[in-house]
Amino acid sequence: MNTVTPAIQNLARRLIALEAARIPSDGLGGAAVRACEKLRVPLARLAGVAGFRSLLARAVALATAEVPWLDSVQVRPDGALEGFDAAGRQPGAVLGGEAGTAVVAHLLGLLVTFIGDPLTLALVRDAWPDAPVDETERRAEGQL
Amino acid sequence: MSTDERVTIRKLPTGVPGLDEILGGGLPEYSFNIIAGAPGGGKTTLAHQVVFANATPARPALYFTVLGEPAIKMLRYQQQFEFFDPAKLNTAVRFINLSQVVLEKDLNAVLEEIVKEVEAASPGIVVVDSFRTVVRKAQAGTAELDLQGFVQKLALHLTSWEATTFLIGEYTEGEIRDNPVFTVSDGLFWLYQQVERNSIVRKLQVMKLRGQTSVPGLHTFRITAAGVQAFPRTFGLTGRAEKARDRRRLSSGVADLDGMLGGGIPEGDSLLVAGPSGTGKSVLATQFIAAGLRRGEPGIVAIFEERPDEYAERAANLGMDFETARHDGQLSVIYLRPLDLSVDETIREILDAVARTGAKRVAIDSLAGFEMALAPGFRADFRESLYRMIGALTRTGVTIVSTVEVTETFTELALSPYSISFLSDDIIRLRYVEIGGQLRKVLMVVKMRAGDHSKDIREYEITAEGFRVGGRLTGYHGLITGVPEPLHPGPGGEPGPGTPDPKE
Repeated sequence: MNTVTPAIQNLARRLIALEAARIPSDGLGGAAVRACEKLRVPLARLAGVAGFRSLLARAVALATAEVPWLDSVQVRPDGALEGFDAAGRQPGAVLGGEAGTAVVAHLLGLLVTFIGDPLTLALVRDAWPDAPVDETERRAEGQL
Repeated sequence: MSTDERVTIRKLPTGVPGLDEILGGGLPEYSFNIIAGAPGGGKTTLAHQVVFANATPARPALYFTVLGEPAIKMLRYQQQFEFFDPAKLNTAVRFINLSQVVLEKDLNAVLEEIVKEVEAASPGIVVVDSFRTVVRKAQAGTAELDLQGFVQKLALHLTSWEATTFLIGEYTEGEIRDNPVFTVSDGLFWLYQQVERNSIVRKLQVMKLRGQTSVPGLHTFRITAAGVQAFPRTFGLTGRAEKARDRRRLSSGVADLDGMLGGGIPEGDSLLVAGPSGTGKSVLATQFIAAGLRRGEPGIVAIFEERPDEYAERAANLGMDFETARHDGQLSVIYLRPLDLSVDETIREILDAVARTGAKRVAIDSLAGFEMALAPGFRADFRESLYRMIGALTRTGVTIVSTVEVTETFTELALSPYSISFLSDDIIRLRYVEIGGQLRKVLMVVKMRAGDHSKDIREYEITAEGFRVGGRLTGYHGLITGVPEPLHPGPGGEPGPGTPDPKE
């Protein structure tokens, strides 16, 4: 079973923050969608589009247990997230940043579960060459 | 064309111990190869090992996955192997999923995709896993000629871009004929997983390899945490051992026995200790190793019937401290996994230990246990296997003492159940004799290639300190039948007075 550690949560937050800094007007929810989109490229190359879609759908399902309003979010056949913004505008849907973090963290958590943290970090570095993710930092935080 | 004018085909290391030797030095660079076999045969693991051994960021390996094992799971499992280097992922080793192209498009699109990636990365190694899936998809709606054209173009392009290629596929041997993939390939490596009664034996065959001479036949291989390790079939048959005439004599650990051997066991010899159960064969082998350890000569004991701790404990009961020697690296006790061993891996294991420890003495206890540890298919060739093993070991210069159990008969003096006496330079025979209502033990040196030896038949006992060799048994005839008769019977069946040992 996938478990998201605090280190994975932190990594997810940092990746979303990086995306948010690029287009601040999109908010944290939009940044989370773009983070997933960025992971789609190396993951689809590795696991195929269908493989990436399966992982993201699972991540959304796991995140929905923590943020119930995510249950209307869909993963399209091409692996894109659909309905994240609309879901975030529903009554009672608050904390878009936390919802986005949950999705990205669970996606990373699934990767760590399957292929381990060194390979997961390699994929993250591939998607965000400028992301502050290095071995020293990882060691300081403990294993992902 | 003279040798100097011929193009030199560089050979790439496979990263698989033993395989380069089988291939005749390595993989021909820029060759187009097939790795074929049934599911679970080790095809993907072999390809990964080659990939990680050769890929560099400048000449990376492109690993195309197609519909078979999902790449995520492949990475999950393959990273368990020691050769897997996560630092190479996405730099030197790049995985590319072609599933969608294969599912949704035609062969041309697949070729286009591969060409695009190859031209972008300029890889040294390209793997398509599984190529069989590509072909199967293609065959569903493509004429055979189109498939042949696709394979031809793929081979041409990958070779032109200086890539050494591996297509992995689950094929059966019946499919080799008329298959364009096999026709185009330069190398064809077939992996088998044979079931022999309850044992599994992995074997590989180089069915085809253009440009260089490979070793024909089936070679056993094993997959461990280190990856694939192959054992060339010719292992132990090459090279020659030179034995000097005035070789050093090694003590057997039993002074009186050394005397019978003309001063000890000639260094580099293979000595066989044959006898029925309970006659002390293992004790003698243990004393031989202990004598070496006392002189600072590292030793190796290959055991098949008991575990190393049990063996060391038994030695301790005879007053020999094997635990300290094991701890200091002076003694290696090799316990080989029983029931599905191949002879080649046994030889490899012992040879590696000899190289590692600088051993001068090796005890193999026992040949019967060794035979039982082998997968059934290898037992049929046991005699040939022993020939190779003894040959390979003696070529390293070590002195070997092997034990073999023989069934005691009272009509003949059997030396071994395997007719392997010719493999041994020296033979010591232990046997029971019935004298005066007692089962006593006698030993004799039957053969010594290096020179003269005692012709005596001497009684011995096994005490808490090991072998104690007594005097020559005189006054009887028929000792080697096991039921001797006194030459001059006394009142109780013992030899009567007046039959002294002429040597005493």
